[in-house]
Amino acid sequence: MGQIISSYGWLLARAMGQTCLLALLGLFFGSIIGLVFGILGVLQNRVCRAIEVVFVDIIRGIPMMVLAMFVFFGIPYGVKNILGVSSFTLNALQAGTICLALNSGAYMAEIIRAGIQSVDRGQMEAARSLGLPYWRAMQRVVLPQAVRTMIPTIVNQFIITLKDTSILSVIGFPELVNTGKNVVANTFMSLQTWFIVAVMYLIIILILSKLAKLLERRLSYDR
Amino acid sequence: MTDNRAADKRAAVKIHVSDLRKSFGRLEVLKGISTDIYESEVVVVIGPSGSGKSTFLRCLNRLEEPSGGQILIHGVDLSDRKTDINKVRESVGMVFQHFNLFNNLSVMANLTLAPVDLGRASKEEARQNALQMLERVGLADKADAFPAQLSGGQKQRAAIARALCMQPDIMLFDEPTSALDPEMVGEVLAVMKQLAALGMTMVIVTHEIGFAREVADRVLFMDGGVIVEEGTPQELLQNPREARTADFLSSVL
Amino acid sequence: MFKPFEYTDDNGDFVGIDVDLLAAIAEDQGFTYDLNSVGWDSAIAACQAGQADGMIAGASITDERRASGWIFSDGYYQATQCMTVAADSDIAGFGDLAGKTVAVKTGTQGAAYAESLKDEYGFDIVYMDDSPTMYQTVTGGQAVACFEDTPIMAASIKSGDLPLRIVEGSENEGAPYGFAVFSADEQELIDLFNAGLKSIRENGVYDEILAAYLG
Repeated sequence: MGQIISSYGWLLARAMGQTCLLALLGLFFGSIIGLVFGILGVLQNRVCRAIEVVFVDIIRGIPMMVLAMFVFFGIPYGVKNILGVSSFTLNALQAGTICLALNSGAYMAEIIRAGIQSVDRGQMEAARSLGLPYWRAMQRVVLPQAVRTMIPTIVNQFIITLKDTSILSVIGFPELVNTGKNVVANTFMSLQTWFIVAVMYLIIILILSKLAKLLERRLSYDR
Repeated sequence: MTDNRAADKRAAVKIHVSDLRKSFGRLEVLKGISTDIYESEVVVVIGPSGSGKSTFLRCLNRLEEPSGGQILIHGVDLSDRKTDINKVRESVGMVFQHFNLFNNLSVMANLTLAPVDLGRASKEEARQNALQMLERVGLADKADAFPAQLSGGQKQRAAIARALCMQPDIMLFDEPTSALDPEMVGEVLAVMKQLAALGMTMVIVTHEIGFAREVADRVLFMDGGVIVEEGTPQELLQNPREARTADFLSSVL
Repeated sequence: MFKPFEYTDDNGDFVGIDVDLLAAIAEDQGFTYDLNSVGWDSAIAACQAGQADGMIAGASITDERRASGWIFSDGYYQATQCMTVAADSDIAGFGDLAGKTVAVKTGTQGAAYAESLKDEYGFDIVYMDDSPTMYQTVTGGQAVACFEDTPIMAASIKSGDLPLRIVEGSENEGAPYGFAVFSADEQELIDLFNAGLKSIRENGVYDEILAAYLG
């Protein structure tokens, strides 16, 4: 184990950084996608709701590894052969971010939709009865309450997304699992390497959970 | 008082309702309601559950979209596409059975949110106004509390204060005391009485027959989606003309 | 999957140079075995954990792996590695790789070769799990080149009609592949393997097997 750390410690540490980077980018864009589709899912308009359902069903129905292949190879192929832009390529970070954002976005959309729907209808009605327009009522009254009930589920989704970064090892993104495989291949020290990788994931996730607890406390309003 | 109003009826109609209909799917809940409500009048709507009285009230600020008929709120047609419903709602306060205080905001923020957000007052003006309203409902010391820290009666008084902060000239009450413990009903009714005494136009859906007798100018008895009978409390509560009214009264008194 | 050392053929049979060599050696030495196809990473872990006695997976014999406690047989196959680029690529040598991305396959001698050149020529490496994906990153333009065993690359380009081209003069000296065990208790298995390998080299079976896969 010491041997791995001395020879490959920096490489694994960098991979840990890459895992965090990919997870942060994926979660950032995934949250935006989730918010947009989640809100579409609670609107009166049937077309909007249908768009949410179709998006969620498609993305949830495709394993992320398959999605990764589509995004990494399929998007550049499509851009080249259909749009005729020959110089277009996606690197592994860009493709990985798109995959994670789409995947976590679909799950977040459902979390956000359910969160908004869990807020008592009376809250929206009371806000509307005072003359507040729908979006202001949503923004000032419904969403803040929805977000609070959603936090534990969202944190859960963040952790899942963080671990899902490992799937992007298949498109060669140098995150922890991809790098771990490489270290194993070079040293043939499988168990030791995966132990170190596991500890690194654990550290990231513990930090994330701690931050989430802090956030949860800051957002609590009735104590 | 009733006589004075009768003198200039036309000018003082606040709410005009004619042939109001509302269906939920195939279920027709309101089957043609017509009535006029005058300035400073206190109208109490009673009736068995499922009679459509809450739906009627909720149509008056278009929380429910009517299926047919006409509603004019100080002359403005609610069903007209050009009508800005948000503007109408600013002048029509509503109090709900379950209070519906904004759980994420302090009492003060509950009261100042709409006036500030809608540009009716500066933050400071809204704050001063809110303090006055809280004073009026006896909650001046609860300005910084959150809804979860209030009793049911306090919540409902805060909700009334919140509606008053928009300086409405009509107040709708949807069973304001039904969700309260019995010992808290009095404090809420007291606030409503005070409001009636100040000349507020009020439409109140309630089961509090005693309150209706004491405060109402007119009582509407609804059943099966229509107004079965209406009259002064003395007429309708003491000597109902309709058998259905009498049955209902004997079951609740 | 590591064509043509081990892969599933059109009939769904598990075949390859490694598979046939092991079968021939076992027959020659008179031992029996169970063969499980578990993938590269799991094969390493299985040997380490004692779930498997040994692995034959196109694994290069390196000092670093030996230092971790692994024991290798004599080399059963030696190949050079080369750089391959898209057929219409301008890249003529390592000097054209500066700032570009190169794809390799985790755990291969090709990866080791690319790593040894990386700093000198200033390119980035991405690690893929299998050959088809690696080739696709080059044909799709996500990487400008890949590194692969020369005979395998040549065979793949031919059989798959891939729009790829081996860069002339990019070959290295090559390194041998070995059968590997993790525990010193398995030394006997290594001895059997070495004896069998020597025997099939002498009787011509070895050449037949290689010829069947590499043409």
